[in-house]
Amino acid sequence: MKKAILPYFFVGPHLILFIVFILLPTIYGIYASFTQWNLMNEPNWVGLNNYKTILFNTESTFHVQFWNGLKNTLLFVLFSVPLLIVIPLLAAVALHHKRVKGKGVMQAILYVPGLISISAAALIWLLIFNKQLGITGNIFNSAVAWATTQPYAWIIIIVITVWGGLGGNLIIYRASLAGVAQDLYEAADIDGAGPFRKFFSITLPSINFPLIYTFVMTTAGAFNVFGQPLMMTDGGPQQSTHVLMMYIRSLAFGHGESIAGMASAMAVLLGVVILIISALQYYVMSRNAR
Amino acid sequence: MKKHVIQALILCVTLMTVLSACSGGSSKKTITFWTPLTGEDGAYMDQLVKDFNATNPEFKVKHVITADMYTKISTVLSTGKDVPDLAIIHADRVPGFVKQNNLEPMTAIMAQQPELKEENYIPQAWNTGNIDGVQYTVPLDIHSHTMYYNKDLLAKYGVEHWLDDNNVTVEEMLELQGKMEEGQYVVNDALLGWGMMGQIQNLNGDIQVDGKPAVDTEVFRKAYTEVKKLNDAGLMTPFGEDGFLMFQAGNVIFSTDGTWTSTAHAAVEGLNFGVTNIFSVSPDKFTNRSSSHLFAMLKNDKRTDEKEAGIGVFLEFLRENSMEWAKAGQIVASKHVIESPEYKNYMQSFFTSSEEQTKSLYIYTYEHYPYIAEAVDVYSNDIVRGNVDMDETLATMQKFVEDKIAENSGAQ
Repeated sequence: MKKAILPYFFVGPHLILFIVFILLPTIYGIYASFTQWNLMNEPNWVGLNNYKTILFNTESTFHVQFWNGLKNTLLFVLFSVPLLIVIPLLAAVALHHKRVKGKGVMQAILYVPGLISISAAALIWLLIFNKQLGITGNIFNSAVAWATTQPYAWIIIIVITVWGGLGGNLIIYRASLAGVAQDLYEAADIDGAGPFRKFFSITLPSINFPLIYTFVMTTAGAFNVFGQPLMMTDGGPQQSTHVLMMYIRSLAFGHGESIAGMASAMAVLLGVVILIISALQYYVMSRNAR
Repeated sequence: MKKHVIQALILCVTLMTVLSACSGGSSKKTITFWTPLTGEDGAYMDQLVKDFNATNPEFKVKHVITADMYTKISTVLSTGKDVPDLAIIHADRVPGFVKQNNLEPMTAIMAQQPELKEENYIPQAWNTGNIDGVQYTVPLDIHSHTMYYNKDLLAKYGVEHWLDDNNVTVEEMLELQGKMEEGQYVVNDALLGWGMMGQIQNLNGDIQVDGKPAVDTEVFRKAYTEVKKLNDAGLMTPFGEDGFLMFQAGNVIFSTDGTWTSTAHAAVEGLNFGVTNIFSVSPDKFTNRSSSHLFAMLKNDKRTDEKEAGIGVFLEFLRENSMEWAKAGQIVASKHVIESPEYKNYMQSFFTSSEEQTKSLYIYTYEHYPYIAEAVDVYSNDIVRGNVDMDETLATMQKFVEDKIAENSGAQ
């Protein structure tokens, strides 16, 4: 009997936290997406109206906001995810080399930016890119107002994202590289394989699962982007970096009374997009890995 | 095994203690007071609360700074738990809260504290909390859009006379077209949306007609057209540049920001500056678009009559002793404070120095004002900079507001 109950004590706390803080809010969020709700009164059930408006009513502000937000979010994913995979991978491989000294310090330097709050980091980077005070203006003589001119607005968003985000994946890659058997490389050396051949034929296949994991998780994280465009460009110029999470937040918790039902519907649709893309990524990558 | 059970129990008790501590809840003799005053403002309010508590009142005040206060208010109101006894809300939130029946009238408190009355406050700050004859709030301040000027630059360009009638017009500013040194400008674009809302009043217009939002109108078109002239003439700081910083660096004659930024400007060494009204598109009228911090009681069944009386004592204390709040750069709402000689030392006393000045502080009270302000904030810069078609954008703004109102009215 004791043995039957004991495992639940270990799983229990996490399960309770998961139900209270994730499952129930998710279910309520989905319910809210079928309502008109201002967060104060009881939600008013409207069925699929919010979804119809967002997806098909081309006249509606919410339709325009959703598609513009989704387009900008997809652009952010396309720009940031490859860099957040490739740069940490290259850094990890470089740090894995025998002759590199001070690996711990280098890793710490790359990891620490991820611990800094996005607001503080954005202030620093905005000063760096400031036309009058910043390095870009004074040393590189850039005459551009970065935050309000495309494609520079995207560039500063991606720079701060990669700067803050590469440490997490780097540590995963370093841990996985440590697990790759050395005799494979020795055998390759005997066969006369060069560094590129070893990287593509030994390193990459050996860390297949960490790669799939980081790819899926980084993509899902990138879809939820919010802080970087809010702080760096405030969605500008002309809402060209206004991502979906910013619209969702301003609808639910912005000016005046909340429009939480519509915001929830947008959030559910974003969740569906993330789910489909993550599943596709996982399917394609794990099939190729076999 | 026994040891593990004891450890597990200790963990559970600790967790329960921490979680119950998180839930907080106000004690019977404490007034829980929520404000959205982050940064320096919060420190000034902390001092005021400390001063009040030092008088050993029956009910002491516990000041809780809540960064995301309106979200938290909606949460506690919908659950009915941990509703604060007193809160500071912004003027534009009053109509919405009252419509939702979320505010307790101040009637009982005003009966107990006879000095808490309209005559003792700046009228528009008091009246913004009055809906259909019922007083729901007591004001702390007015925080207004403000135009700072660089005295040295005004003299350099020989335009000090612009300040003579306290109304710097767009027409006057245009006199400097082609006369500015490279890298110097007449005005920046800080808080441009606030400025546009002021211009609507200067043109004797409004943001609503018969309760319906009115954004795509001739008044808005005229206001944007006039302000855009400053940009087109090269007199406004370039789009995307930090005009606030450029003013502090001594390269801009006028900075259109808020009363609260006077402290930041004062900290800049060598910046010789003064304050006046926001520039106007009309020679006959000037308006400083304003908001107000208001004390309000959210509906809470657990608030006893005794505690409500304690809140009254606190508000009366602040009416007489809120000079500290002037240090934050705010226009204190209490006449007791603003009529005292000490208040004249503060720059913002300019805005209550005459009846005409006081009238220039305009607070919008239209029910759907927050949605209009949001649309104006989002689109103003692009219109004034000529990045978008004005007519199309005004139509988009009108639709933006109407869609939000329609969606919101379905949630009532």
